[in-house]
Amino acid sequence: MKLGNLGTSRGKEIGWIVLFVGPGLLLALGIKFYPLFRGLYDSLFFFEGGWKPVYVGLDNFHRMFLDKTVQQTFFNALKVMLTIPVWVLFPLVLAFLIFQETAGWRVFRAVFFLPYVIAPIIVGQIFREILGLQGPLNAFLGLVGLKLMTTAWLANTFTAIWAMVAVVLWSFSGLGIITYLAGFATISDDIFDAAAIDGAGFLTKIFRIILPMTVPVIGYWTVLCTGGMLLWMFPFIHALTEGGPGHATMLPEYLVYITSFRFFERGYGTTIGVALFFVVLTFTFFQVRFMYEAGAPRQKQKGGAA
Amino acid sequence: MTTSRVGSGARIQRKVGKGIVTLLLSLYGVVAIYPLLYMFLSSLKTRLGYAKNRFGLPAPLTLENFTNVLNRFDFLRLLSNSFITTVGGVLLCTIVSLFMAYALSKMSFKGSKYIFLLVVVTLMIPNQTIMYPLYQTIGELKLIGQYYGLILVYAAFGLPLGTYLIAAYLRGVPDDLLEASRIDGANPFQILMRVVLPVSMPAIVTVFIINAVWMWNDLLLPLLILTQQKRTTIMVAISLIRSQYDIHVPLISAGLVVGFVPVLVAFLIGQRQLIKGMTTGAIKM
Repeated sequence: MKLGNLGTSRGKEIGWIVLFVGPGLLLALGIKFYPLFRGLYDSLFFFEGGWKPVYVGLDNFHRMFLDKTVQQTFFNALKVMLTIPVWVLFPLVLAFLIFQETAGWRVFRAVFFLPYVIAPIIVGQIFREILGLQGPLNAFLGLVGLKLMTTAWLANTFTAIWAMVAVVLWSFSGLGIITYLAGFATISDDIFDAAAIDGAGFLTKIFRIILPMTVPVIGYWTVLCTGGMLLWMFPFIHALTEGGPGHATMLPEYLVYITSFRFFERGYGTTIGVALFFVVLTFTFFQVRFMYEAGAPRQKQKGGAA
Repeated sequence: MTTSRVGSGARIQRKVGKGIVTLLLSLYGVVAIYPLLYMFLSSLKTRLGYAKNRFGLPAPLTLENFTNVLNRFDFLRLLSNSFITTVGGVLLCTIVSLFMAYALSKMSFKGSKYIFLLVVVTLMIPNQTIMYPLYQTIGELKLIGQYYGLILVYAAFGLPLGTYLIAAYLRGVPDDLLEASRIDGANPFQILMRVVLPVSMPAIVTVFIINAVWMWNDLLLPLLILTQQKRTTIMVAISLIRSQYDIHVPLISAGLVVGFVPVLVAFLIGQRQLIKGMTTGAIKM
C-alpha cells in the first residue's frame, strides 16, 4: 500500500516481492516440505533391494511399535530428556560466575566457548580416548582414591548413555553460557547500582534481579535444548559408540541412519524418521511459536491510505 | 562495580568471594581445555612413548604422526571441499534469508505473515527425520556427489533461523530510513543494497557465524550427499580415521589435531567478535 503511493506501480512491486521471496520459498518447499511429505508417503510402502515398492498401509508403523530396538531407542531418548535441568542450570551457574567479572573473565569466557566450535565428530573421538578404560578420567579417579568408580565408561551398559550426554554437554555448554551472558548484558547497570545502594547481597542480586530479568533468555535456551537434544547427538554417537554397547546409546536419529543407509531398509527407516518427526514436533513447536512472535511482520495500521 | 566505602570485614568477604569464583572458573577451565591438550600432547608422542607414558609430556618428541597422517589423507583437498561447501552454503543462505526478511518485514503485502510462518515452521523438519527422502530428492535433482547439492541443502536448512534473525532485527529499523531513499527514486533492490544491508549488518554477521560453525562442523549431510571420496569434507574423513588405522592413539590424535587446528586458529583470531556476533543478533529481549 505504502509503496504504491510513492511512484512504483503495484505490478512492478509484486515483481520485486516475488523476486525476493521466491528463492527462499523454493528452498523451503523443495528441500524441506517435499521430502517431508515424501517421507510420510514412503512410510506406507515396503522397499526391498531393487524391487518395486509395495504398498503396505500402516504395516511399517505396526512393526515399529512392536520393535524392541525402536522401543529402546525412544526409551533412551527419554533418559536423555531427563537431563534437561542440568542443561539449563549448568551453563547458567557458569555464566553467573563469569558475570562477576573477576580477573580474567574474558579469558574464561573464550575458554568455555572453545569446545562449541570444535566439530562434534572430533570431540567424540577425543572423548573416546578420555573415557577409555585406561584413559585420563580413570587415571584421575584412581589418583584421588576413587579407583572403585573406574570403568570403561562407554562400554558399560549402565554408564554409556550418561557418559555420552556429558560429552555433548561439554560440547554445548559454551553456547549456553554466551547465550545467558548476552541476556545478562541486557539488564541495565542502573538496576544494579540501585540494588547496591539498598545493600542487596550476592544472593539477593541473583534471585531478585538477575533470574527474574533473564527468564526470557532461560526460556529461549530451554526451548532450544529440548528441541535440539534428540537431534544434536548424531555425530557424537557416530564417534563414541555407534549406538552400543547393545543398543544402550542408540537414539532414534542414529537408528534412522543405520536402518536407511546401513541396512538399506528405506521404507522402515523413513517410518522411524516420521515417528521421530512427530516426537520432536512437540518440542520444536514452542521454539517456532517463540520465533514467530518475535519476528512476524506486523500489520501496519498507520499511514498507507492517502 | 565500585562501592568505595565498605568496612574492612565486607572487603575481606568480597575478596574471599572473588577467590572462590576464580577457583571455580579455573576448575571448569581445566575441564574445558584438558581434553584438547591431551590430544595435542598425544599427537607428539611415538607409539612406544605413548604406551610408556600416557599422560606426561612427550618424551621423545616426534612429528612423525603428522607426516604420516598428511601422507595418508589428502588434507588440502578435504579442507578445500569443506571450504567450498561451507562458504557456498553460508553465502547462499545469508543472501536468500536477507531477501526474504527484507520483503517480509519492509514491503508489507498480504500474506507476508503466512510466508514467514511457512519458512519458520521448516525448523520443525530437521534433517535427521527426513534423511532418506532428502537423499532421494537431491538424487532426483542429479546433485548427489555435487557441491551444489550440499550447498542447496545447507541454504535450505539455515533459512528459517537466518530469515527469523534478520526479520526480527529489521523490525527495529524505522521505516523512515527506507522511505527517504524510496522518495529519491531508488528501486527495492537499490534500497536493499544501500540501506537495509548496512543497517542490518549485526544480524547478518550473526547469521554468517552461526551458519559457518554448523556447516563446517556438520557430518550427516556431507555423509549423505557428497558420496564421492574426492568431494568429501574433512569431517567425513575424520569420522573414518579410526577404521583406517589399528588402535594407535598418537596417529589418531594427529589426525584430530589437524582437523581442529584451522578452527582453533580462526577462533583465536576472531574470538571476541565471534562471541559477540553469535549473540547480538539473537538476543535482544
